[in-house]
Amino acid sequence: MLWNAKEIGLYLKEKAYIDTVIVPILPISFTDRTKQEAEQAEFITLLTNLLEKQFKGRMLLVPPFTYISGKGKGETEKLQEWIEEFKENQFEHVFCLTSDIEWKEFEQDLGGNLIWMPSIPLEHMEEKYKRKIIDDQVNQLVKLIVQKWQTN
Amino acid sequence: MSNQRVSRRQFLNYTLTGVGGFMAAGMLMPMVRFAIDPVLTAEAGGDFITTGTSEDELSETPIRVDFTFEQVDAWYTSDVTQTAWVYLDEAGEIVALSPTCKHLGCTVSWEGRESDPNRFFCPCHNGLYEKNGKNVPGTPPTAPLDQFEARVGDDGILQLGQVVPNKIV
Repeated sequence: MLWNAKEIGLYLKEKAYIDTVIVPILPISFTDRTKQEAEQAEFITLLTNLLEKQFKGRMLLVPPFTYISGKGKGETEKLQEWIEEFKENQFEHVFCLTSDIEWKEFEQDLGGNLIWMPSIPLEHMEEKYKRKIIDDQVNQLVKLIVQKWQTN
Repeated sequence: MSNQRVSRRQFLNYTLTGVGGFMAAGMLMPMVRFAIDPVLTAEAGGDFITTGTSEDELSETPIRVDFTFEQVDAWYTSDVTQTAWVYLDEAGEIVALSPTCKHLGCTVSWEGRESDPNRFFCPCHNGLYEKNGKNVPGTPPTAPLDQFEARVGDDGILQLGQVVPNKIV
């Protein structure tokens, strides 16, 4: 389900069935990493949208958690707050999707599932290959998520 | 230079015939084009979208067919990719089912769970559908899967149209 007026209406009606949140995590900055971060945003946005399409009836895609990169630990606490908020509102599974490796070390503290995907430069890729590569990535994530659902 | 002299009368005759010919052609060409137009456009008629799958690839086992078209949504134009599960029924007719679960809209897949062969499975809430799209009682979905209008173009390529309620259940 997408975070828009129409689909949130459906969420409010069918709350009992929707127990999963997916949060795109996107860094921004204006340093030598700018280009890379824009690339990550493109990649992560694409992936989360495709996942939402696949699992529309059980998954809520919320607006991305965006932060200025390189500012340190304060962001972890903010993301923890997000995750707590979701858990308090009957979302049993929280998946955070990011290409920023720095989150990896805080994985344990978050209380949700952090999925790190190395971003792929899609910019110069042919449409056909782009689709194939993204499909493969999505299929892996689909398997992972279904597995998580089945274990609890 | 040629020794043949062209008289003024001849020169005028040639020029007028030439120019007249062009004028006649200019008038006739659009008329001819209009007359044969239906023949030329029959291919692209309707809202059917040509997929990348030919008729020969279809069998009794549903296969996944992806097709892309351009969609204009208010001020935003995008390429939308849709999927259909396509198979041939006993009579050899093409059946193209929409993969959108009738429960809350997840994407179903053919034999998506090993314990349920010959059925469509929805991973979100374990919904099941028979091969013809009929929802299995006791699972969350309350209606059969929708269908795409399907046909085969003159070139043997599968074309899919609008989504319509399931007509075969």
